[in-house]
Amino acid sequence: MSTLQRIMYVEDEPDIQAVARLALELVGGFTVKVCSSGEEALREAEAFAPEMILLDVMMPGMDGPTTLQALRALPALATVPVAFMTAKVQPAEVAHYKTLGARDVIPKPFDPMTLASQVRAIWEA
Amino acid sequence: MDASRQQDLAEQMAMLRAVYMARLPAELAELQALAGGLQGGEGDRPSLEALYQRLHKLAGSGGTFGLAALGAAARVLEQRTRVWLAGALDDGYAAARRAFAAELAELVQWVVPGAGERATPSSAIPAAHAAHAPDEAIQVWVMEDDVALGQQLVRQLESFNYRVRLFARIDEAERAAQDEAPDMLIMDVMFEAEGRNATQALADSPALRALGCPLLFITSTDDFESRVRAARLGAVGYFLKPIDIPRLVNRMGQLVEQLSAPPQRVLVVDDDADLAAHLCLVLRAAGMVAEVLRQPETIMEALAGFQPDLVLMDMHMPRYTGPELAGVIRQHDKWTGLPIVYLSAETDLERQIAAMRRGGDDFIIKPVSDAQLVAAVRVRVERARQLADQINKDSLTGLLKHASIKEVASKEIRRARRTGKPVTLAMLDIDHFKSVNDTYGHAAGDLVISALATLLRQRLRQSDHLGRYGGEEFLVVLPECAGVDAQRVLDDIRQRFANLRFSYDGQNFSCTVSAGHATSRHAGPGQEADEALAAAGDADLLAAADAALYAAKRGGRNRVCAAARLPAAGEVPA
Repeated sequence: MSTLQRIMYVEDEPDIQAVARLALELVGGFTVKVCSSGEEALREAEAFAPEMILLDVMMPGMDGPTTLQALRALPALATVPVAFMTAKVQPAEVAHYKTLGARDVIPKPFDPMTLASQVRAIWEA
Repeated sequence: MDASRQQDLAEQMAMLRAVYMARLPAELAELQALAGGLQGGEGDRPSLEALYQRLHKLAGSGGTFGLAALGAAARVLEQRTRVWLAGALDDGYAAARRAFAAELAELVQWVVPGAGERATPSSAIPAAHAAHAPDEAIQVWVMEDDVALGQQLVRQLESFNYRVRLFARIDEAERAAQDEAPDMLIMDVMFEAEGRNATQALADSPALRALGCPLLFITSTDDFESRVRAARLGAVGYFLKPIDIPRLVNRMGQLVEQLSAPPQRVLVVDDDADLAAHLCLVLRAAGMVAEVLRQPETIMEALAGFQPDLVLMDMHMPRYTGPELAGVIRQHDKWTGLPIVYLSAETDLERQIAAMRRGGDDFIIKPVSDAQLVAAVRVRVERARQLADQINKDSLTGLLKHASIKEVASKEIRRARRTGKPVTLAMLDIDHFKSVNDTYGHAAGDLVISALATLLRQRLRQSDHLGRYGGEEFLVVLPECAGVDAQRVLDDIRQRFANLRFSYDGQNFSCTVSAGHATSRHAGPGQEADEALAAAGDADLLAAADAALYAAKRGGRNRVCAAARLPAAGEVPA
C-alpha cells in the first residue's frame, strides 16, 4: 500500500485550522491544503489532488455534507476517502454520516498529538 | 519525532493557545450579548441560530486547547439551543431562556489562565530529550514583606529548580495575578508594613483567590484559630518560622508530584464501535488518554503497547465475553494488578458475582451518565496507583525501592543494548551521614535524605529513574545520557546539595554527597546478548558505578567520579 501524503482539510474556524495544520504537518509529516469553506474546497480540490479529505460538518454557506456531495460529483474526487470532523459523535449521527459516504468521523475536540495517526488509521481502514 | 521538532511543536502549540486564550473573552462577551438580547419569542430564531453555531465551535475547540471543561459546558448549552430551534419558540422556551443566559454567563469560570498549558497538549508532549535540562520549571510566588527572609527563600528554592518570584507587598502580587498565575503560592501571614493580615487579604482579593494554585503559609503564630483560617482558605501547608527549608521543599515536592501526575490511561474494549468512540470522547474530555481495542484477539499486545491504568470492558461481545478476556489478562503475572471494570446492562447479581470471580474488579451498570463514568474510572485508577506506589516506592523519599530500581536499571540496559544508545548508572552516597544521625538525631537525618531525593527529582529529567538504593545511598538511571553529560548534571547536583543549609534545634549544618557513574558502551543494534550475558552486563555496569563511587569517597568525598574503564554492553570481563 502506498502511504498517505496529501490531505485537504476544510474548516472555517481559524484557531482550529492552525492547530490541525500543525498536527498534520509537523506531527504527521503530511502535505496539507487548508480551505476555509466548502466553496473554496471545490475550487481547489482538482488541482491539489488530495488522497484524503477532512471536512468540518458545520460551516456557514456549504456545510460538510453538502460539500461532500459536490466533491463526489467531480470525477477526480469520486472515490477519495472523506472523514467528517464534528463535536457530535452520538452513535446515530455517526451512522448517518457514514451513509452520506464518509469513511469515518473524527470527534472534536481532537488531540493534536494523535490526530495524524487517527487520520492515517482511517485512510488505511 | 526528534527532539527539535518536538520542541518546535510545543512552542507553536503554546503560541496558538495564547492566541486562542486572548480571543476567548471577547467571544464569550459576544455570546452573552446574544443571549441577553433574547426576547422570548419566534423573533429569537436568528440569534438562537447564531448562538447554536458559535457554541458548537466552542464545544469543538475548547478541549483541543486544553480547556476541556469549557468545551463540555458549551456542548450542553449548544444542545439546548438545538432543541429549541427544532420546535416552536413557545412559553416554555421564554421561561427557560433566562436560566440559559445565566449559565452562559458562567462559562467564563472555565477559562483558567494557565490551565490550557497544563492540560492535554503539554502532557502529550514530553520535554525535549536531547537537552539535559530538567523539565519545565515550576513557578512559585513568594509573598514575604521581610525582604531578607524572602531573598533567602528565593535562593534556596531556586537551588531546587523552582522559578521563584518575590513580592514584598500584597498589592504587587494582586496586580501580577491579573495576567499570570504561579503553580504554587507561598505567603507570609502578617504583612507588618501594610498592617495587613494575608489571610484576610486573600479572602478579600478575587484576583488572588482566582489563582487556584496550592497555597502554603509561613507564619510565626501557631494558634488554632490561625490554622483553621488557613485551612478555610484551602492552604495545603502551614510552616512556622524559622522556616525549615528542607521540610518546606519536601512538601512542595509532593505537591509537584500531584500536579504533574501523568494522565490516566484507559483501554476501552467494546464491539459497539460508536459506543466505544463515545466512551473515549467522554474520558478524553476529562483529561484522560483513552483508546479503543477493536480486535479482542490482540488484547495482550494492546496492553503492552498502550500500558493502560484501567480496562473498561463490555460484558457481552460476539466472540468472547468480558470475563473470558479478563481471564486471559490475569494469566499474565505482570497484569494481575490492572483494574478491569465491566460495563454492562447486566443487573443479575449472581451473574455479576460470577463475572468478578473471573478477574474483573467491578461493574458499571449501563446506562451510565458521563459524570458517573469519569468519576468511577478516576477513583479506581487513583487507588490502583496509590497501591502500586506503596509497593514500589520508598515511603520517606517517594523514590523507587531497591528491588524496583534494580529492575528498572536492567530494563534500561537491555534497551540501550537494543537501540545502541548509551545509558548511565550513577550511585550517590551522602558523606558522613552517620555523624548527622548521631549529632542531630534521626529526624534530621531523614530530612537530609529527603532533601537529596527532592533535589534529584527536580534536577533530573522526567525520563530518568531514581531509586533509594540503601539507607543514604541512591541509584539513578539516566537513559540516553552520555558520560560527560552525566558528570555535568551530577556535579551540579553535588554543588547545590552542598549549598543547602539545614537547621535543627537551632543548629545550622550542611552536608555533602559523593557520586560515581558508569556509562554503557555503544553496542550495534542486533548484537543482542543472551540472558546470562545480559545479567552479567547489568551487574557489571552497576559494579563499575559502585567502584567509581568508592573512588570518589577515597578521593576526599564531595566529588563526582566516572568509572575508570567502561565495560561494553554485554561484555563479560575475564
